[in-house]
Amino acid sequence: MKLRRVLVLTAGIALALSGAIPLVNHILADSNPPLQIKFDSAQPREVEDSTQQAIARDYSAAWKALKTSLANNATAPLTENFTGFALDRLSQRVKDQQQNGITTRIIDHGHKVEAVFYSPDGSSLELKDTASIETQVLDGSTVLHSDKTQMHYYAVLTGAEDRWKVRVLESAE
Amino acid sequence: MRKVALITLLILTCWFASDWARAADLKIPHNAVAGESLTLATSGSGDATLILVGPGEVVKRSIRLGEDVQIKPEELRHAGRWIAIVRGGSGPQSQAFWVSPGKPDQLSFLARPSRVPVNRPGVISGVAFVFDKNRNLVPQPTPVEFSLSVGGSGAKQSVKSSNGIAWVKSSSARKAGAAQFVASAGDASVRRVVQQVASDPCNLRMKVEQKSKDHVVLVTDPIRDCTGNPVPDGTIVTFIETDKTGKSVVDARIKKGIARAEMPASENANVTIAAGVVLGNELHIGGGE
Repeated sequence: MKLRRVLVLTAGIALALSGAIPLVNHILADSNPPLQIKFDSAQPREVEDSTQQAIARDYSAAWKALKTSLANNATAPLTENFTGFALDRLSQRVKDQQQNGITTRIIDHGHKVEAVFYSPDGSSLELKDTASIETQVLDGSTVLHSDKTQMHYYAVLTGAEDRWKVRVLESAE
Repeated sequence: MRKVALITLLILTCWFASDWARAADLKIPHNAVAGESLTLATSGSGDATLILVGPGEVVKRSIRLGEDVQIKPEELRHAGRWIAIVRGGSGPQSQAFWVSPGKPDQLSFLARPSRVPVNRPGVISGVAFVFDKNRNLVPQPTPVEFSLSVGGSGAKQSVKSSNGIAWVKSSSARKAGAAQFVASAGDASVRRVVQQVASDPCNLRMKVEQKSKDHVVLVTDPIRDCTGNPVPDGTIVTFIETDKTGKSVVDARIKKGIARAEMPASENANVTIAAGVVLGNELHIGGGE
């Protein structure tokens, strides 16, 4: 009798977890990724406090937009946060995904970012980002590929009308 | 006997399972470069679909397992992490691989400011972003040469890029004119023009050119900066006359290198002259002058 209760309880917990884990993942995927940025190494000029806050806010928003765009095959979130080569490139990726019937789900486990360059005129800034990323490529609900890895990114941000936009976003080994 | 049969069956099952698992195995070279062709080796047999998911594109095509797959340079334009997926008879097989940027081929060059006074230390900055032919940032250190010259004379600086960016700070030359600011790396070269203009006036001097009962005409010597460049026409020079009735101010623009102002005549007045923050000489007019 006791064994049966334990089994039923275990099965119940397993069922609850199986529902809760994807839900938590989904919530995490939709929220801003955890981001730690250091500005101490920025050359050749120091990054002002207000710029530090703006960069943290806008780089985080860019990643959120990237996740949303690739998951839903929508380019609108990209245009608000990306510009130049990065926008062209990611927009093309979204169009290609749409054409080929696939989506990409990014589960972002956080970024450790270091500002390495801040231009003398204050118009552009480069970040080196070590991101812990889980990537799933899906065809409908079928998972074609899934992995979790630590990626390095070079990101160049430039000042736009009301925010910093990502102009270059390139992953490197 | 039964045990032997079971073990044989187990071995066969494992063999079949491993063979099935290898059915759509992919072999991807480790040295893939953006903008260059790539050969993927597949194993197994039958028809399958290859999907390549790159940073800025998705490529999908039908392939035959067991044959090599050629990826064209134009399909592999973007550096970064790619995912190759093969969908065949068995479940999808996938593998991530890296594509590195090609050789430095293009520069994005920002020169600031576009207009600058002569003879100022560290006032011009140049920032060059190093890209390959497909606009991938090249993070490997690359020598970038910056040269700033006016009328054939100038200075050169060679800087190694760091994380894809090279930058310099330079002083403006002593001579006014359109300075050619050039950044070059390999065969790539980008030119910007920085207009170097005369600095603040130096030795600002005026004299009385004409004097009558009602007015006095004051004129400056040719106005130049401290390195001898003529201060541009249109620059405002302020003449201030002070006497017992008060102050008269005339803002005159430099025309053909000099400024001229007509002031009310006074029996006893002091006239001063200024351009920006620079003060010139002082004249006393009237009262026997």
